[in-house]
Amino acid sequence: MHVTRTLPPELIRIVISVVVVVCFTFLNVLLLGYAERKISGRIMRRPGPMEVGPQGIFQLLVDGVKLVAKQFIVPSEAGTLFRIAPLLAFMPVGLSFIVIPFSNRLQVRDLDTGLVFMLAVMSLNTFAILVAGWTSNSKYSLFGAIRSVAQSVAYEIPMLLSLLSVVLTANTLSMRGIVLAQSPVWYVVVQPVAFLIYFVAGLAETNRAPFDLPEAESELTAGFHTEYSGMGFSMFFLAEYTNMFFVCSLGVVLFFGGWSGPQLPYMDYTGIIWFSLKVYFLLFIMIWIRWTFPRVRFDQLLNFCWMYLIPFSLVNLMLTAVVVKL
Amino acid sequence: MEANTGGKHSFVLNMGPQHPSTHGVLRVILEMDGEHILEPEPVIGYAHRIQEKMGESRSWPGFLPNTGRLDYLSALIYNHGYVALIERMTGTEVPLRAEYIRVITSELNRISSHLLWLGAFLLDLGAFTPIMYAFDDREQILDILEDITGARLTYCYFRVGGVFRDVDDKFVERTRAFIKRLRGRFKPIYSDLVTTNIIFIKRVKDIVNITPEMARRYGVTGPPLRSTGVCYDIRRNEPYSIYPELDFEIPVGTSGDCLETYLVRVNEMEQSLRIIEQALDRLPSGPFRLKVPRKLKLPQGDASFSVETARGELTYYMVSDGSDVPYRLKIRVPSFSNLSMLKELCRNMLLSDLIMALGTLDLVIPEIDR
Amino acid sequence: MDVKDRLIAELGSLPAIVNLVDQRKRGYHLEVLLTPKIIRDFSLLMRRLDFYLVFVSAVHLDPEVEIIYQFANYHGPCRTLARAFVPADGIIPTISDIFHGANWHERETRDMFGVVFSGHPFLLPLLLPEEDADLKPLLKKAAALKSAERIRRIAELATPVAVDNTGKNNPEQN
Repeated sequence: MHVTRTLPPELIRIVISVVVVVCFTFLNVLLLGYAERKISGRIMRRPGPMEVGPQGIFQLLVDGVKLVAKQFIVPSEAGTLFRIAPLLAFMPVGLSFIVIPFSNRLQVRDLDTGLVFMLAVMSLNTFAILVAGWTSNSKYSLFGAIRSVAQSVAYEIPMLLSLLSVVLTANTLSMRGIVLAQSPVWYVVVQPVAFLIYFVAGLAETNRAPFDLPEAESELTAGFHTEYSGMGFSMFFLAEYTNMFFVCSLGVVLFFGGWSGPQLPYMDYTGIIWFSLKVYFLLFIMIWIRWTFPRVRFDQLLNFCWMYLIPFSLVNLMLTAVVVKL
Repeated sequence: MEANTGGKHSFVLNMGPQHPSTHGVLRVILEMDGEHILEPEPVIGYAHRIQEKMGESRSWPGFLPNTGRLDYLSALIYNHGYVALIERMTGTEVPLRAEYIRVITSELNRISSHLLWLGAFLLDLGAFTPIMYAFDDREQILDILEDITGARLTYCYFRVGGVFRDVDDKFVERTRAFIKRLRGRFKPIYSDLVTTNIIFIKRVKDIVNITPEMARRYGVTGPPLRSTGVCYDIRRNEPYSIYPELDFEIPVGTSGDCLETYLVRVNEMEQSLRIIEQALDRLPSGPFRLKVPRKLKLPQGDASFSVETARGELTYYMVSDGSDVPYRLKIRVPSFSNLSMLKELCRNMLLSDLIMALGTLDLVIPEIDR
Repeated sequence: MDVKDRLIAELGSLPAIVNLVDQRKRGYHLEVLLTPKIIRDFSLLMRRLDFYLVFVSAVHLDPEVEIIYQFANYHGPCRTLARAFVPADGIIPTISDIFHGANWHERETRDMFGVVFSGHPFLLPLLLPEEDADLKPLLKKAAALKSAERIRRIAELATPVAVDNTGKNNPEQN
């Protein structure tokens, strides 16, 4: 059959940019993994990876190769979705980068309801953890999965409410619109409470310490990914770091003015430098918090969410609504 | 297992012999209802080496290394109990310098045991950094002790009649420098980073409630007992060696929960520093060892000796028939009684809190199993 | 009246032999010789006087096994050693409902010596694996078995046994 019609340029652009964004994400995850290990090492008075490459920069690559080379062991009692769960963890996060504006002209697709799309995609992560824990057919994994679901479901609410405050202030749901609305002053100054609540909820959504109960090593011997080895484990590992990167990107877009910063040549494209710097600043804080604080107990975690975060974010939302109206 | 609390949808979770938090080969069979533990049942015996039989077939130099392997974290104190028991039975006088050296090294050992406990306890809580700082301090102690004893962990330094090797000025200097260093680190590292952290406090406050009555019923000694308010320390109540001449306090808590036990142990470290300082100031010159035959004939009869280890009261009880090999050696270890309390202590508790309770009791499984 | 005096006074009501002992030489203050029949009354007395159980163990003698209990007190120095004789494979009442810590001590004694504590709620192996429940490792073979007189203290020590070598700097190292 003769295909005389050429592909629409928009489609080509989207495909190329999706590929570029996925590669960019992978590279960032590698960099983030390396940063975490180095920073955690320094906090713990040790140098971190030093062997592989100068200052250990190839450590994560080598780890990836090792994990890929391992056998993917499937327990005999595992359910049918056991092999699919790691993919389920990884896919949604890759999807969500479609609407993030890395700079003025670097955005795959600016949806009018970009924020809603991002939040919807973020909640798919919980689903993957539940499937992983449940199909492992192991009590420890089930524990981890249950804890994770309860935690994620609970912390989505304050996250949503704090982001709604931003939406009210910016008067738009599209990501690009929110960044442009932050022209004189970043929203972290206008909505500090919302930022704090968002950050804490983001820590809980990505299962990072002090909220890392689902993978509490000392209690549950690795929680929901106990039974995974090799590539499956590395998928979860990648998904967690990508999730972190995503949550921080969202935070930068909504609170720190996205790509804005002192003028650079070709600002339309080089805005990504400021974007990345801000994202890495937030990531540094996330890593710092992980290695400083002990873990919060499960009921204390839920208590904290329902008793403190949700009321505060509701009050913040109402105040914002009142101020915007005036 | 004992009578099941029937009627509930309970399942059995095995915190097996291999688990990151049980700190040794301890198995706890948990009957659980969701996240709540209905009843924990500790199962021990995985590291049983029948040390007491070995005590009956060797004269004192043969068994002395075994004492260091019972509780490897307070090995010197275990050494001390054994040689002091033989000295008590045979009436051997120990030179004063040797007694001072014994106390200094025992207290250094106590500090290193508490530092390891602190790191491991916080690691169970999810704080990954303090263990590194605690081990940094611990390495200093291990280096100091390695120079004179030759070992880093399972010491066999004491002998009947004194100690194996004399301490020199370098040891005294290094120990004084270490005391100064550790004192300076208590506030910024252990206090500010850990003790005053709100997440830590909420995790350990009011978690486990040991009452003096419960402690007495199970024979609990050591920091879990002192955290309930009972001031019972063998170094004070049945003093041995040169402890009567030294001035130190026994830290006690009030409510018997995890936080109080934690504070008791941290304060014990400070008191141990005080003891070491005083002992270093008064260290007399003289012989450090009296020669005693290897096959030392123990007179007929029995005797007992109690010491205070980092975990509680350790009692050796020996029965002799007149030869150089004991007829019966009974070793009563503190963690054995402390662990037997777990069943009653942790009823209807959350799993995370069980981990805290195990950490609070500071168990060393090889000493329980002997 | 301190703890020790009180205990001696109360022990007058039991048909037991009480010996005051030199603590510096023996490590405990009182020695009480009991029979299995009065062990529970003795334990109830100790509980009433606020003692805690240090250990329960046994010594294999010829012809009977001697069960030893050591108690101590948090509030005053009064370490008490109680002895009771039972025949090997004999039965002695448990005190695990009076002192809950005895639960594990009695299980261990049964593992090692085969002494059965009647009334114990759960007398299964503690330290040994279940299949070795009848191993009784600490029972002595006939050649090594001694009778009670051979292990009792015959005389207080008159002279110490150590040799002073102040002159030497490096004594022979073991």
